[in-house]
Amino acid sequence: MSLIQLYGINKTYDNGQPLHVLKGIDLNIGEGEYVSIMGASGSGKSTLLNILGILDNYDSGEYWLDGKLIKNLSETQAAHYRNHMIGFIFQSFNLIPFKTAVENVELPLFYQGVSRKVRHERAMELLSKLGLDSWAEHHPNELSGGQKQRVAIARALITNPRIILADEPTGALDSKTSLEVMELLGSLNKDSGVTIIVVTHESGVANSTDKIIHIKDGIIGSIEENRYHNLSPFGGNTVMK
Amino acid sequence: MRLFDMDSLKEILETLSKNKSRTLLTGFGVFWGVFMLLMMSGGGSGLKQLLSRNFEGFATNSILVVADRTTKPYKGFNRGRTWNFTLDDVDYLKAAIPELDVVAPVNAMWGRNATYNGRSCSGTIKGLSADYRVIEAPSIEYGRYISEADILSGRKVCVIGKRIYEELFPEGGNPCGNFIRIDGTYYQVVGLDVSNGQMSINGNSSETIVIPINVFMSVYNNGNNVGLLAMTARSGSESSVIQEDVRQALYRKHLVSPDDKSAMFVMNTAQMFAMVDNLFRGVNILIWLVGLGTLLAGAIGVSNIMMVTVKERTTEIGIRRAIGATPRMILGQIMSESVILTLSSGAIALVISVAILSLVDMVMAEQKIECSFQVGFGTALITAVTLSVLGIVAGLAPAFRAMAIKPVDAMRDE
Repeated sequence: MSLIQLYGINKTYDNGQPLHVLKGIDLNIGEGEYVSIMGASGSGKSTLLNILGILDNYDSGEYWLDGKLIKNLSETQAAHYRNHMIGFIFQSFNLIPFKTAVENVELPLFYQGVSRKVRHERAMELLSKLGLDSWAEHHPNELSGGQKQRVAIARALITNPRIILADEPTGALDSKTSLEVMELLGSLNKDSGVTIIVVTHESGVANSTDKIIHIKDGIIGSIEENRYHNLSPFGGNTVMK
Repeated sequence: MRLFDMDSLKEILETLSKNKSRTLLTGFGVFWGVFMLLMMSGGGSGLKQLLSRNFEGFATNSILVVADRTTKPYKGFNRGRTWNFTLDDVDYLKAAIPELDVVAPVNAMWGRNATYNGRSCSGTIKGLSADYRVIEAPSIEYGRYISEADILSGRKVCVIGKRIYEELFPEGGNPCGNFIRIDGTYYQVVGLDVSNGQMSINGNSSETIVIPINVFMSVYNNGNNVGLLAMTARSGSESSVIQEDVRQALYRKHLVSPDDKSAMFVMNTAQMFAMVDNLFRGVNILIWLVGLGTLLAGAIGVSNIMMVTVKERTTEIGIRRAIGATPRMILGQIMSESVILTLSSGAIALVISVAILSLVDMVMAEQKIECSFQVGFGTALITAVTLSVLGIVAGLAPAFRAMAIKPVDAMRDE
């Protein structure tokens, strides 16, 4: 059974004028997959990601996460699932500015009620794995974009989630660090088997994932297997941007 | 719910301490409110004590009467007649009005010279009866007060006030047994009265020499006349009613028209004390009104700034929500921030104002003025409880707004 199963997901935003964003999404994503959802802006890819991350509700259809129906959850239940099952990586990093790198990484464990000492140890362990141990006590404004995103990745990983959702993770990075971040995500997927879903509009980013889901005007267009990254016209030596 | 374990507390303190200027500005409103409230309430009670010192030792239920010229013709007498109380009025009044406890005659002469051992000073000489001490309590340091026996045997004895003592006996020590001379007559000192009251009848008690009333009358040729009658009412009786009874009884005896209000001057200390009491009650109400108002304004300030803060922290709260904080955790955090902020700034204000009031007290003690500006424990307790309640109330609105922030809002503010 797939980790994520979507059946006929519909979502309409109603800000004065109804906007039908998702028009019946059917999708299966298995455990350990490294997937990208690709589409132009306004295609509904971010909305889909928000629904996958239980940050937003959907109007009709069914969303099964690890065999559990995610529908009309209370905020508390949603928070619990997000905390235990899902890690988030954002385009603008979304680190808390007045906390140091290690404190930012610790925060999800704080909400799990893990003791200060244990969560500090785990955060430091993770940061050193990502080569950031010397930056642990720095505040986000003292870090480069790539370092910030790696801190954010560490924060997403600290709870050992089943899924990592990345919303334009390279959107604020230059091409070199973009590549590094994507390689990091790829190796995390290979090493720990965590399911990674990346939302992007950049083909180069999508190309570094194993499966590309094209979304257009709220409908899934095609699903492309991308096992051999170098075969793709965007692969090989093409620069990401 | 993990609302108040050490870890959450640390998280809250970190959030507060890492946003120093915001925290300081928010806390200042409450700080100022508490500070003002305590300073004003301390100042008010101190002033009240300062003023009360003037009435020290004076019976609060006494009535003083002085005869004045009549303004109405009555029973063949013309208007404008001068009349006097007489010594037998004392027993007459006691018999006529059973509610009266003590009736004491007072005669006085101002600006008399007292000499002892080559030194002299001027003061007021008063003729009093033994039970005058009920009206104005002396505080005897040496010897005793005028006694019934002094009056019965017409002894030439005196009780001197503090300033007279200092002038005539600069070397200090017990003045009793010495003879001082006033207007050619020698009186043996039997007591020293060091009371401080400023409201003494016929002059300050520190500049007074008290002698038995009958001695006074014979030395100064008063005949049977008494200048002033001081009396106290028994507890439970209405002094304003007794005041009128006294007036009518004396008018009847001395043939004054019953409706001649100006023929006798009456001072009712109960009414006067009630007036002062009312004044201070009013001042107190004002202090609490202004103080609580300031405190309330401070709390509203906290609420307001927290409100803006929550708006400003939408992203932060959104992130916290996205990575697993439940709405109740966010609610708890904002509420705790508000309560801790209010309580700690209130506590600092409490400490500082108590310290300042202690300093004032120390200065007062140095000046040998016995009065305390310090706030009571009850006041501090009430302030503390009010603060906690205000902190919670102030945190409510911002906390609920923060709770309503959805995690997607974190990503919207890019």
